[in-house]
This record gives sequence, C-alpha cells and structure tokens, in this order.
Amino acid sequence: MVVSLRSWVANEGGKHLVLMLWLGANTWLFLKTFLLYSTGQQYHYLYKMLGLSLCISRASASVLNLNCSLVLLPMCRSLLTFFRGTHTVSSRKTRRLLDKSKTFHVACGVAICIFSVVHVSAHLVNVVNFSVSYSDEFPALNLALPGITGVLLVLILFLMFTSSSYCVRVSNYEIFWYTHNLFIVFYIILMVHMVGGALKYQTNIEAHPPGCLRANQSSAEQQGKELDQGEDEERRCREEAHFQPHYPQTWLWVSGPLCLYCAERFYRYIRSSHPITIVTVIRHPCDVIELRMLKKNFKARPGQYILLNCPGVSSFENHPFTLTTCPTENKETFGIHLRVVGDWTERFTRLLLPQPRMDLEILPMVQQRRYPNDGWTGFRLQRLYFVWVCRELQSFYWFAELLCALHHKLWQENRPDYFNLKLYLSRTDNLQSMSEEKYRPLTSRLLVGRPRWKLLFDEIGKTNKHKRVGVFCCGPKGISRTLHRLCNSARTSGTTFEFNKESFS
Amino acid sequence: MGKIEWAMWANEQALASGLILLTGGIVGVAGQFRGWQFAAYAVAAGVFVCLLEYPRSKRSKGTSVERTGQYCFTVCVKSFGPLTRNYYVRAFLHAAICVPGGFMLATVLGCVCLGIASLIYLAAAIRGEHWEPILPRKAETRKPPESIKKPPQNPPPRPPPEMRKKRVDDLEGAAYDNPIDVTANE
Repeated sequence: MVVSLRSWVANEGGKHLVLMLWLGANTWLFLKTFLLYSTGQQYHYLYKMLGLSLCISRASASVLNLNCSLVLLPMCRSLLTFFRGTHTVSSRKTRRLLDKSKTFHVACGVAICIFSVVHVSAHLVNVVNFSVSYSDEFPALNLALPGITGVLLVLILFLMFTSSSYCVRVSNYEIFWYTHNLFIVFYIILMVHMVGGALKYQTNIEAHPPGCLRANQSSAEQQGKELDQGEDEERRCREEAHFQPHYPQTWLWVSGPLCLYCAERFYRYIRSSHPITIVTVIRHPCDVIELRMLKKNFKARPGQYILLNCPGVSSFENHPFTLTTCPTENKETFGIHLRVVGDWTERFTRLLLPQPRMDLEILPMVQQRRYPNDGWTGFRLQRLYFVWVCRELQSFYWFAELLCALHHKLWQENRPDYFNLKLYLSRTDNLQSMSEEKYRPLTSRLLVGRPRWKLLFDEIGKTNKHKRVGVFCCGPKGISRTLHRLCNSARTSGTTFEFNKESFS
Repeated sequence: MGKIEWAMWANEQALASGLILLTGGIVGVAGQFRGWQFAAYAVAAGVFVCLLEYPRSKRSKGTSVERTGQYCFTVCVKSFGPLTRNYYVRAFLHAAICVPGGFMLATVLGCVCLGIASLIYLAAAIRGEHWEPILPRKAETRKPPESIKKPPQNPPPRPPPEMRKKRVDDLEGAAYDNPIDVTANE
C-alpha cells in the first residue's frame, strides 16, 4: 500500500522525531565518554592498563545512567494526565505524543538491557586485563571489584525483562506486575554500585604529566646520546602520580526521577484510599455488568479510564476499565461496563450479584448523555462515525438505549448526518434479529459480516475531503494494525486520518 | 492470583539465559580467558538451550502466540516425546547444564539465570503443567449451507418461506409462483 506523506507525518512524525532526539542523546553521550577515557590525560595510566574495554565500559555506563533516569518518567501517569489536561499542553500533537509514553518506556528499557550486556562484557575483559597488567608501579590504581552489586543488578534486570514480554503480560499480568516492582531494589543497588570508589583518576597532571620520566629512568631512544639539559628537565616527573576515586555519579542522574515516581505512587495510594459507593449494578446480556458508582470530588472526561481495586477479591490487583459514563454537573455518578472474562471479574461479580434468577434482572433505565442539550457551537467535532463490531447480536444491547436516544435527539435537532452508526455482526451463522420496535435505528444499520475497512475509509475520505479525521480504535491487535496501515496510506481525497488507539496491556 | 502458567515465564527466562550463556561463552573464548574451555562449553550449552526453548508451548486456556518461524523447531522438539513434554525433565536438565558455567567468571551470570529458570520449571511441573506443541490447524472446508444451493423460485417481492408454503394450498395466492422451475443446471 502506498504511503501518503501527509498522513504518515501526522501519525508517525512526532514519534520518530522524539526517537531521533533520544538516539542522538545516547550516541553523543557514548562518544563523549569514550573519547574522555581514551584521550583524557587523567586516565592515561588506567587506559594503558586496561585498554579499549575501559572506554567501552565507561561509555556504556554513562548511557545506562541516562536511560535509567529516563525510563521512570513516562510511568508517572498522574503527572502526564495532569499535563495532558492543562492548557500548557494545548497542541493536539503533543497530547498524542504523550499517549505514546509506554512505547518510550519500553525503548529505554531495551536500551538498558542492551547496554548492560555491553557493560558487563567490557568489565569481564577489564578484569582479565587488570589481573594481567597488575601494576607494581602504581599500587593505588588497583581496583576492588563492585562485582556483587553488578551481579545482583543483572539478576534483577533479567527477572524484570523476561516477565515483560507481550505473551507473559497477556496471560499472567501478575507475574509482570510483581517482578516489575522490583525496580526499587534495582535502583537502590544501582546507587551503591560505585560507592566503593573502584574507579580512580589521576589528580596531579601538571606536576606529573602522564608518560613523563622518573628520576632514575632515561627514555629508551636517547640512551647513549648527549641529553639536552632543558628538554630533559621538562620530561622529568616532579612528583609521584596521585590517584583519587571518582565521586559516584549515578545518584545525580537517577535520584530526581526516582523521587518523582515515588511521589506519584504515593499520590495514587492516597487517592485510592477513599472508598467509593456502588449505586447500581445492572446485568446485561453476554456476561457484561454495568456498575454505577459515586465518589466525592471525582472529575473525569470522556475517554479516560479508572483502575478498580476490590480488597474483598484481591488486595493488590488493580484492573483498568474505561469510563462509559462520566460525572457531570447534574449527575455525580460515573459508570463502567465490565465483561466477566477472568477470575477477578468472576469473583467480583459474585460478590456484587446474588445467583441469577430471571425476575431479578434489572433493565437499564436512563443512560447518561455526554453531549450538551443545546448549543453545538464551540465543539470542533463536525461528524461522528461509530463503527461497532460484535460477535453476537445480544452484545449490542449493552448500549442500545444510548445509541437510539442519541439518534432521536439529533434527529429532533435537525442534524441527522452528525452521527453515523454502523453495526457489524461478525458471526455469520445462526442469524438473529432485534425484534424490538424501539431499536429500529439499530436494526436498519446492522450489517452481517466483518467490516471492509478500506471501503469504509474511502467513503469517509470522499465525504470529508481535505479535512482531518481522528480515528480511535479500541480492539484486538489485528484490527488496530489494519486501521493504522489504512490511516497512513495514500488517498486521492486529501483527507488526513490521525490514528489513536487504546490499550491496557 | 488465579491460575498462573509458570511454564510460560520459565520459557522466556530459559531462552534469555541461553542467550546470556552464549554471550558469556563467546566473550570468554574470544578473550582467551583462563579456563576458556568452560566458555567453549557455555557456547554449545547456550545454543542447545536456545534451540530447546525457542518453540513456545500451547496454553491450556486462551490463545497461544507462537514465535516467528517456530514451526520447524516445534517438530524437532515434539519428536523427543515425553522427554520434552515433561517439565520435570527440563528442570533437571537445565540444572545440570548450568553447573559447569559456574566455574568461570564470564559464564557465571548465565549459570545463575538458567538456575532460576530451572526452579520455575520445577514449580510448573509440580503444578502439573506440560509442554504442548502448537500445530497449525487444518483449514476447515466450509460447505455452503443447504439454502444457498437452491436459488429462489419466484421473482421479488419474495415473502418468507413460511408464507410461501401456505400459498401452495391457496391457488389464487400462488399466482406469484413461477410455473417453470429455476434450477442451477440451466
């Protein structure tokens, strides 16, 4: 598929710019440290002893410092949400970049793993070189191994990395969550990794230029010749070389982001300690429960999600659910729809609802409207296409009332083309139909079979020429990939499709 | 903490440990460290562990995501039968493989990581898990349902089948019925 430049820049440009900047920072830091250790006068003797592996190990250590500090920042979710909501970040491009924070975290994590391997390998070579060229001339340079802390760091990193692959996260999220919380042990050990003062540099370069001749030595090439007095004096050492251990630098890089992240977790804990009241529990077909809750001073906007924790089910598990009803000035309750699909949701539902009997089913009565009652000006949204794909017909009942109510309201306000509804039923055998008359707007927009996304995009493109269309995808990876590709592909209508997706894992 | 499949995590760990063992071995051999024979062993052991652990097992519940190109590895590993199916065997095998790695500095990390993976495999085996190959499903030949083979007998507007049956009894109402049968052979 041919890629459209304008759409590609709109969807991928920001991410790639940040990636280039980050790669540039890493490369610059690596080269700067490498050159410092290979050409710096204060490291001359160290370099002669250990060779190239010294430079590689120090350069990779400085890159590790940078990435260990950057990796925590995208995980301060409350802070990012705050920035996203304020007017300081008013550009949509920046908001969409902030949505990609998890990807940046993964990139920094991968860099940490790769450079740890480089760092450890280089130190192994250092150890061998050190034992080979143990220097009796400069006993103060002898290194004490910070090996134990290094081995512990690699082990923790190994545990964290192996449990963070996609399949482990999808199948057993708890393993990922509990091992990833070992990060605090990792950071504490990281900050004491260099406290032993193993790395030393020479302090008296003027008095003892590296490579100078000692009092009882003469340079090899001038043996047997008449020595020029002046020249000889310059090259003589005036004093012995003095070495001093490096002040450990890692804590300078890491302590800021670590404190910020700990504050963030503390804030989340404080916020979550206030309990909420469950107002209504509604059972929908196909194992879906709607929950209406109440919490003091709770504000949320459409599109945000909440994390539910039920100590009666499990004390440490927090599960994310997108809000389907947000609190407004008239009504303070907010609601979620949750599908019973794992052990936590099963136990939670059993706590909420007694054993099902036909007469206890409560049908949804009034649904919350997210849009204002009058005054459509002031909203940049000109048209909304809602495409919903379900496997079973019963699933459409979850929001049938809301969709029909919205359709009728817009019809009354003479805006019939504002909301375009397309429902797709992907299971093509055992066809059923919605028989209720009040759901007629839905049945007439119901199509059997999977949606043909390319045709849909072409149609939307033709009717919205030279406009920006935001695509919001919530669903499995297959659909998400297809839509992403279609958003980037070339179009004769000149429409730009901006791709956004929601994912929790 | 419901039903956790420990074997999946142990598999990721064992694969990573194999790579760490391999890297440590290569560094040891290339740098000609003292005891480089252990490093050479670690290279071979690392390759073996990676080949054994590359094919993912099928999950007991839920969709299994296989690694790219793992089919040929699955076939090889499957051919060993109960030796590779049982996780007790794997746990003890990894424990035995990792021991010689502990004698040299370059490979000690690989040894410890593989040891941890072996412990997790033991936990998985105690819980009764075993390795299942992910084999491709045979494409089901979908026969078109019966109703598609028989084209409609009368032109539109076509009432639903129940009402059509009634019209056979009522001759006047059957004026819509096509006197000549429409079949696929024509």
